[in-house]
Amino acid sequence: MIGRERLWDTLGKMVQSSPADHTEAVFVGVESGLTRFANNYIHQNVAETNSKTYFRVALGRKIGVAATNAFSLNSLKQALKNALQIARNQQENPYFKGIPGQAAYPQLDTFDEKTARFTPRQRASKLKTIFKKAANKNMALAGSFSSGAGELVVINTAGVTAYQPFSSAATAVIAMTDTSSGYAQGLSRRVGDLDIRAIATKAIDRAHRCRNPKEMKPDQYEVVLEPAAVASLLEWISYIGFGSKAFQEETSFMAGKIGQKITGDQLTIYDDATDQAGQAFPFDFEGVSKRKVELITQGVARSVVYDSLSAAKENKASTGNALTPDASGEGGIALNLFVEGGEDSLDDLIGGVENGLLVTRFHYINGYIDTPNAVLTGMTRDGLMRIKNGKLRGGVKNLRFTDSMLRAFSDIRGITAGRELVSSWWDALGCITAPAVRLGSFKFTGKTDF
Amino acid sequence: MHPFPGKTMKDKLKTTIDYLKSRGVNYGDIRYVRAETESIHLTDETVDTLSKDIDQGFGIRVIADGAWGFASSSICTAAEMRKVAHRAINIARASAMTKKADVRLAEAKPQSGTYATPFDSDPFKVRLKPKIDLLLQVNKILKKDKRIKVAESSMGFFRMHQVFCSTEGAEIEQDILQSGAGYTATAVEGSEVQKRSYPNSHGGDFGTGGYEIVERMNLLDHAERVREEAIALLSAPPLPAGRRDIVIGGSQMALQVHESCGHPTELDRVLGTEISLAGGSFLQLDKLNQLQYGSRIVTIVADATVPGGLGTFGYDDEGIPARRDLLVREGLFVGYQTSRETALAVGRTSSGAMRADGWNRLPLIRMTNINLEPGSAEFDDLLADTDGGLLLETNKSWSIDDQRLNFMFGVEIAWDIKNGQKGQIYKNPLYTGITPEFWNSCDAICNEKYWHVWGVPNCGKGEPMQTARVAHGTAPARFRNIEVGVTK
Repeated sequence: MIGRERLWDTLGKMVQSSPADHTEAVFVGVESGLTRFANNYIHQNVAETNSKTYFRVALGRKIGVAATNAFSLNSLKQALKNALQIARNQQENPYFKGIPGQAAYPQLDTFDEKTARFTPRQRASKLKTIFKKAANKNMALAGSFSSGAGELVVINTAGVTAYQPFSSAATAVIAMTDTSSGYAQGLSRRVGDLDIRAIATKAIDRAHRCRNPKEMKPDQYEVVLEPAAVASLLEWISYIGFGSKAFQEETSFMAGKIGQKITGDQLTIYDDATDQAGQAFPFDFEGVSKRKVELITQGVARSVVYDSLSAAKENKASTGNALTPDASGEGGIALNLFVEGGEDSLDDLIGGVENGLLVTRFHYINGYIDTPNAVLTGMTRDGLMRIKNGKLRGGVKNLRFTDSMLRAFSDIRGITAGRELVSSWWDALGCITAPAVRLGSFKFTGKTDF
Repeated sequence: MHPFPGKTMKDKLKTTIDYLKSRGVNYGDIRYVRAETESIHLTDETVDTLSKDIDQGFGIRVIADGAWGFASSSICTAAEMRKVAHRAINIARASAMTKKADVRLAEAKPQSGTYATPFDSDPFKVRLKPKIDLLLQVNKILKKDKRIKVAESSMGFFRMHQVFCSTEGAEIEQDILQSGAGYTATAVEGSEVQKRSYPNSHGGDFGTGGYEIVERMNLLDHAERVREEAIALLSAPPLPAGRRDIVIGGSQMALQVHESCGHPTELDRVLGTEISLAGGSFLQLDKLNQLQYGSRIVTIVADATVPGGLGTFGYDDEGIPARRDLLVREGLFVGYQTSRETALAVGRTSSGAMRADGWNRLPLIRMTNINLEPGSAEFDDLLADTDGGLLLETNKSWSIDDQRLNFMFGVEIAWDIKNGQKGQIYKNPLYTGITPEFWNSCDAICNEKYWHVWGVPNCGKGEPMQTARVAHGTAPARFRNIEVGVTK
């Protein structure tokens, strides 16, 4: 960790020295460790110290971006020079209206010293206890346990001077028998909040209950999707639908549908990096303050998320969802997704199903098939269970689903009050906070051998 | 003048190796990497990405107390290297708290050598203006019809200087250069969205080499066809569900090989060490030399020596010289992609498949160029011999289970094959199958005239996530009685 004062001082001087009309520096630094395990031992164990400094400059409306991961004065100067050279060779971007200006940020607790200092030996100690527990039950555990910290800085010539440190810890555990597997996961800004034993116990219990899975034919079934399953669907739904690029290019299922009902009444999805219940963060990579953005409210399409460039195309303000400067062509992306909880418990949801399936999570989802209809395909994984007359009736061999999520989420029959934080593609700067959801029907289109 | 400070860096690396030896590690290696990337992306007539990235650092991998540790840093000073070496040893000792047996490595002769990608034209010396102008021309052609809502084109260039030293005495320097380009037309009408791409989807095609790779693509020559096919798809019917004989085009065959042969033959997956994210493999050890993976015409190799492949290099990240190994011989499953550690599980030496996504990532077993050997068919003859079948081209979506058995692929376009010609087109085509059943239904592969090494620059694996640049040499091939159009 370099620290606020040195970062502000060094990058501030760089930005001020730039001859461009607009200059922005974005710094992301990380010190992290990750321990991977399989067959009840640690087989990979890594640590990384890294940073990246991006310069985005504009000469009039010509934008150039360059980056370096060396935090030395010479390297930073070279990167700024590269950005200027690129800008000189650029075309004008007609949507560029300047870089975002000074903003007030919410005060958020995003850093935990204990998590930042958590050691490989501490991770190994915790894992050793769950390996023993699994071995006693004749099971093998696989998974990962990460911990670390970082700092994000945005400084620009429009008055933004933003700094925020952050920490994060995550674990995922798969328990395996000869014929089955179970899964559980945890994520927090504070490593002390991760109950590794409880997470492992949940995975072990599911693997045990799914031994000798039976085959079910692919068909439409009522389903209860656990939080990790809901989150993995939402990850793709967001990618193909909630970003400004897909919306403006009209490939999104939200395009032309704002104000219209697109799912069942019970579904409310929003992006909110200011909610400390998730992996909160006060500003985006342009230094724009984060705020709550309603995406789908009670089944009605409300909005997508924007960075400053994509917002300008619609004469709107950024919603605080910019990515790093090198990815500005991607538009805004929702990094802090929430599905609003309901009033049920998981037992309530299962208890209401006459003949259906409980899905722990999905594997290798793909959402490019038919984006206007939000058609996704993917496989179930790690603990698919039969529900019969409101009771869990053992494991089921994995199935492939292929379905429109707009159709599937049009018949929501229950949502849990409890929600889980689930890791996603964007790691420590966001997550998906999801409940379990009961759906009236879900199309399974294929099967596999395990 | 060499653009990278290799010699000075190599001295620092060797000093660090001496330090590791003095600490009594079982094994140690250090890898310095300096990578440079230039990215250009245009949407319509706007250059929305034009960036240059320089990334450097080093990673140290050790076996201490019989267990692995890895630490890395972007601060490339001798003092930092010693500090990180110390950290790697401590991490290994933490790993050792749970070890079941000491890590062992298959024998490998320590290599001293250099390798550099051959190229004609350094893409980093080609000015930005002609690159941007070419992509602008492409987008203008694509946008000539107002139903093309978005025209996207891009180029990407990557070069890497790498120095590798080990406690066993290896000293290797490599310079890798990669180039690529591509474009996509997105047609929109009402709630219908269709895409066509050239030369491949998801960013185009890539290889090791210089700007000549982009020039050989003749990007402008295909833009009108791509535009018209995207527009035609807007009014095309969906592919009816059923069972059909299918001919799969070369670029989609590349992804088919990637997902259903490349990944399941990675021995780390087979041994369970990738279960936590990517999954395992149905090609368990008892299947080696026993399973009829495909039909007799199916031969698949891992070949890091093929010229121009995105997975072509001089040495892998354990210092093993690039090599060619059989994975499937005349349909029989005969080989895995391995590391020095995993190769012992099958009584072999490393296949030279250990590669890392930069200095800050641990090398994993990654595909090199996983190639389906060409067959004997002429493409026109194959169509003439597949009456009532389908021709499927250009990947759109991909999904496969965590043991790599049940797969489903979507492609951009399908044609009925009638009287040896392409007929009716279909939108949103999907096909699905079970890997060994599918490959055993392969009864024709086009010959070397139609064989091309397709670059796949975005293969994800590992935790933290690593993106590998791999490739697949493929030609169009035919598969009998395949389930298609399964969304309804």
